[in-house]
Amino acid sequence: MNGSLRQSMAWLHTWSGLLLGWLLVAVFVTGTSAYYREEISLWMEPELHQSTASDDTMDLAWQTLGRIAPEARSWDISLPDARNPAVQLRWQPAGEEQPRQGGGRNRGEQAWMDAGSGEVLTPRETRGGHFLYRFHFELYGVPRLWARWLICVATMFMLVAIISGVITHKKIFKDFFTFRPGKGQRSWLDAHNASAVLALPFHFMITYSGLLLFMVMLMPWGIDAAYDGDRRAFFDEAFPRSTEAPGPAGEPADMVAIGPLAAATAARFERPVSRIEVQHPNRENARIRISVEQDVAISGRRRGGSPTQVFQGSSGDLLETIEPREAPTPLMGKVYNVMTNLHLVRFADPLVRLLFFFSGLAGSAMVATGMLLWVSKRTQQLRRQQPGAALKLVNGLNMASITGLLAAIGAYFAANRVLPATLAERSSWEIRVFFLVWLTSLVHGLLRPHRRGWIEQLAVITVLWLALPFLDMVTTDSHLFSAAAWRLGALAGFDLICLLLGALWGYALWRVAKPKPDKRKPARAREPALAEGNA
Amino acid sequence: MSQLKNATRLSVASRAIAAVLGGYALSATATAALSVGLPMSRMDAVITASVLSFLIYSVAVIWAFACATTARAWAGIAIPTLLCGALVWLLGPAS
Amino acid sequence: MTVLLALALGYTGLTCLALGMKRHHQELLGRKPTEARLRLFKTIGWLLLLATTAACLMLWPLGLALSMVPVLVTLVGLPLIFLLPYQPTLARHLAWALPLVAGGLAVAGLG
Repeated sequence: MNGSLRQSMAWLHTWSGLLLGWLLVAVFVTGTSAYYREEISLWMEPELHQSTASDDTMDLAWQTLGRIAPEARSWDISLPDARNPAVQLRWQPAGEEQPRQGGGRNRGEQAWMDAGSGEVLTPRETRGGHFLYRFHFELYGVPRLWARWLICVATMFMLVAIISGVITHKKIFKDFFTFRPGKGQRSWLDAHNASAVLALPFHFMITYSGLLLFMVMLMPWGIDAAYDGDRRAFFDEAFPRSTEAPGPAGEPADMVAIGPLAAATAARFERPVSRIEVQHPNRENARIRISVEQDVAISGRRRGGSPTQVFQGSSGDLLETIEPREAPTPLMGKVYNVMTNLHLVRFADPLVRLLFFFSGLAGSAMVATGMLLWVSKRTQQLRRQQPGAALKLVNGLNMASITGLLAAIGAYFAANRVLPATLAERSSWEIRVFFLVWLTSLVHGLLRPHRRGWIEQLAVITVLWLALPFLDMVTTDSHLFSAAAWRLGALAGFDLICLLLGALWGYALWRVAKPKPDKRKPARAREPALAEGNA
Repeated sequence: MSQLKNATRLSVASRAIAAVLGGYALSATATAALSVGLPMSRMDAVITASVLSFLIYSVAVIWAFACATTARAWAGIAIPTLLCGALVWLLGPAS
Repeated sequence: MTVLLALALGYTGLTCLALGMKRHHQELLGRKPTEARLRLFKTIGWLLLLATTAACLMLWPLGLALSMVPVLVTLVGLPLIFLLPYQPTLARHLAWALPLVAGGLAVAGLG
């Protein structure tokens, strides 16, 4: 402790990293999956896959809502886009609005509609990619506030680990490209350093922005001081919203056809219409809001809203054209916007999403290699002694948090295909499968000897992930050899990524299972000196 | 690291508390002080201060473990915390 | 296709930066470098990373483009780090082949 700055930072880096590393792996892995949560959800609802948008889609949605929710207080239609081929219909049933549990607006009822036929689709019950996404920042089955705080503490540890790691690293630029394979602990250290240093901008951005997203929860003290405890006043000022409350419904009246209005909006903004909201449908005071999708500028405000036109429902008169304007933002406000926009990938470009997905994988690997390094270093220090309980525990937890989680995710996807579509509490069963597999891998990891355990778990995830596309072929009509999967890039992409990742796990399995030629090298003697400052 | 002496253990525990709790206290009061003290509109000041708060926290944690002595680690966190607290108390909510 | 070009230029840029370091220069080219050569490779490396930035600017608006440069560099840098010890010859040949292929694709895509 009383040594140099570098030594104390190495100590801090090691222990803050290990203590919350397991949680961080889970946060990183599920967070990486969250880049594709819409695509995962779509994959998990094969009943939606055959839907195809046509010129009639909007009219069909109009008719379908008129049939299933004629008395609703409001309608909300999300039209098909590159990420989902079906139409999502939402509506608020007539009657008093019920406040949602835990605050916020009630989202009302929702249904999926086939974009080509107007038929109401009933996909299998699943939480889809949303489960992994929520797990990423509020776990599961834990009180939401506690879980968020826990994850934010872990994120703070990560930030400290990043900074102390940089201070610890002796030759950050000299070792920039250095990887020395086949040298046990040394190689793990190199791999950890390489993935950490090279991706440092990404790691810093993702960690800091993760904290910024919960800034108001974590650091309300600035608001409390400047606004004298009145947080509402701050929100009203920071995120001004039109507070125009919808009046009572008027007399019944027919609405105009939606097609020409949508065409006018699309022409006005030169973009396809993405969303249609209606207040008091089929009443004389109906209001139709038609929006198009627009990318936020990277430093733009999060709740800017989309370009929108508002029409009078019964006459079709244009009432208002809303074009989001960028509010003047102070420098740090811009920093906030840039970071959170990047964290949440609020950009339509699928390329950006893919690149971030791979960065997320690299980030997961960075945390994982750090934890493997911890075990590797202490295993080498043992010098043929039996590993103690602590080392076994850490190793078991490592296994559960890395291969175990991947097994759980694979099993979650597989369960979606295997469980009967009509099973009661189906979505809960998918989640139960997820946790049962995870728990099994933890027990397995704690019981089996070090190397055997890794080999067995890697074998399981290799088979499981490679099997997913084939399971798809047996159970759905939108597999890799179908036109539907390729029409929607998301579905083919899902299967291809499963194959790619399965192959990656297979490669890892091959590397671990391969007998090691030089198990006890004399060169090992100088390694502790080399790595002292770091592991 | 496995042969930590008792004194060292105590020092580690003490620094950990200084880092985690003291660091939070420091970043909270510093955020509050900047929010009322920065020469900007109060919303901009709040956002600027809050965005910087996690940087302040990290620096405090690093400081707590980097200092040569535990006493200095504590002093380096406690004194700015008190100063920021006093500043908030003096300036009060900018209305 | 411009993204492939950006990735390829990033890869070659990083490889040149590695060639600008004594240890990796010997590893990749098998001979001791002169100071002048190291400096030359370093300069080329940085210029290529600038070209990567330019390619990103063609793809995305300014702010997003600048944010994507480190992401791209990371994604090509990681394979490079693992190619250097295992497949140094491949790493070297990729450095000239990748930009050619990607450049060809970009031109074909444009024309």
